[in-house]
Amino acid sequence: MKQRRLIVRLGLVVAAVSVVAGPAAAQDPRLTGRLDAGTRAAVEAALDSARAQGLPADPLVTKALEGASKGATGARIVSAVRRLAGELASARTMLGYASTTEELVAGAAALRAGAGPSALQRVRAVRPGAPVAVHLAVLADLLADGVPPDTAAAAVIALARATVRDADLVAFRQSVDRDIALGASPGSAATVRVNSTARADAFTNTTPNAPPRRRP
Amino acid sequence: MRHDSEDLVARAAAELRQPTGLSAGFDARVMAAVRQARRPSRWVLAWEWVREPRLVALSPLGGLAMAASVAALVTLGVWAAVPRGVTPGVASSSAELGEVVQFVLHAPAARAVAIAGDFNGWDAERTPLVAAGSGVWSVALRLAPGRYTYTFVVDGTRFVADPAAPRAVGDDFGTPSSVVTVGRGTMDQGRAS
Amino acid sequence: MAPAKGLGDVATAPDDAQIVRRVLGGDVDAYGILVARYRDRFARYAVQMLGDREDAEEAMQDAFVRAYRSLATCRDPGRFGPWLFRILVNRCRTRVVLRQRRSRTFVRDELALESAGVAPTDERGAWREEIERALAALDPLYREAFLLKHVEELEYEEMAKLTGVRVSALKMRVKRACDRLRDLLQEVQSAAR
Repeated sequence: MKQRRLIVRLGLVVAAVSVVAGPAAAQDPRLTGRLDAGTRAAVEAALDSARAQGLPADPLVTKALEGASKGATGARIVSAVRRLAGELASARTMLGYASTTEELVAGAAALRAGAGPSALQRVRAVRPGAPVAVHLAVLADLLADGVPPDTAAAAVIALARATVRDADLVAFRQSVDRDIALGASPGSAATVRVNSTARADAFTNTTPNAPPRRRP
Repeated sequence: MRHDSEDLVARAAAELRQPTGLSAGFDARVMAAVRQARRPSRWVLAWEWVREPRLVALSPLGGLAMAASVAALVTLGVWAAVPRGVTPGVASSSAELGEVVQFVLHAPAARAVAIAGDFNGWDAERTPLVAAGSGVWSVALRLAPGRYTYTFVVDGTRFVADPAAPRAVGDDFGTPSSVVTVGRGTMDQGRAS
Repeated sequence: MAPAKGLGDVATAPDDAQIVRRVLGGDVDAYGILVARYRDRFARYAVQMLGDREDAEEAMQDAFVRAYRSLATCRDPGRFGPWLFRILVNRCRTRVVLRQRRSRTFVRDELALESAGVAPTDERGAWREEIERALAALDPLYREAFLLKHVEELEYEEMAKLTGVRVSALKMRVKRACDRLRDLLQEVQSAAR
């Protein structure tokens, strides 16, 4: 009898600790003081769901903080967090489960900007084992500039294939921006610049990019 | 032709070595500025040196030594610049130093300008811009490789996109945001930035 | 007059160290001697690095004022010149980053816009303009390395101290700058025939 009571008491203690520890572990301290209780609970639930799927929570927390900073309603914040979680999941399907957080965030941005799912897969395929976050970010920016999706994807894939440095990828996007500002059509600007960037980089690129960090 | 081409760079360098004139009154302007400047105490200079964004060459040993020193200062509670909580975007190792990015806004009528973005938890109070004169506000931040969304916050209430940067696509909250992409060693090749 | 080789060879009479001591002792006007001594030499670098005279003068004024403010931290007043030059090199770098963030046009376009209304009337002027265009088309880090090596004629060890970059990386940058300049200038020369 004494033994049974001890086991029951131990079981109750373990259960109590689990109940206390569970919600506490899920709470992200960055959200403290930034969201009302209801919104916070909904966002935390979305974070838990994301973590359960193995998705990174940091971008979702950042999205919630963005909404808080901009004075958005709780409903809008929760909606934005859930939407991003979905986009991160889609990006991960295209880019692979070993993708870094930066790659998923950039991939999600590219998808939101109108990239076809195959574009992300092709970028990854051209650079197996090498980081593609900057490529995807440039893809997102080109699409935002109005470059047609096929042209934008082809440009980024060509640059990925030519192992162009990150600095030159960013400079390429700036060149396209400038050309568009000067009156070129977005598609032409991207096509012209991709050729000169790949050629110029052939003179200088000797440093292969490091393999990607795996997310913990 | 080969002889010509090898000479070209040498000739260009020789031309560039010719002296360059400055506008009249340059010395006087500099001395006027110098006389207005106060020489701060060593402590203030040391603090400014810490805050100033710089490009530093670190050997792996140097990087370890610096990391150990920072860890010691954090333990002693002396390092005032440690950000609260986890700060995505702040480079934490020599392998991901990315680049120092200068954010600039021309807002002559503003009383205060700050920046809020993915790199500072969207907390404008953490990152005010400094008035650089002539209505220009700026701040330099060291960002790890990645893509960041951000916005300027003018006088604590007005969100202003960066006119010099691409817009964030599909803004979720109805206010403009901009994006900046930082690559690995964007401004550098062969040393830590 | 032959160009000075290395910053340490700049005339030392009156002694930089003596002037620095006077300034630290309160004789602000004595700083004007240092300004006059170094401004022409550094103007050449700043104008060619930034491709814009106004920008260069601002960078130089900024460097002189910063040097004045932190004069007490100059560990070897006898080598004030190299110490000041290091400040100027960093100021120019900050301005390059600032300009790249603020503007959607590259340095070479600003130079083209500036000179668009003034057609050189002589061959020498046209050649100079082509060199400046080619220089402006270089990556800023290659331009910096080229100017320090072939225009300022510094030794690689001095350049390494100024920039914090390894000698091997500097040599690579200089070589690539020369290769790129050669290509650009050859194109111009071929087109002119």
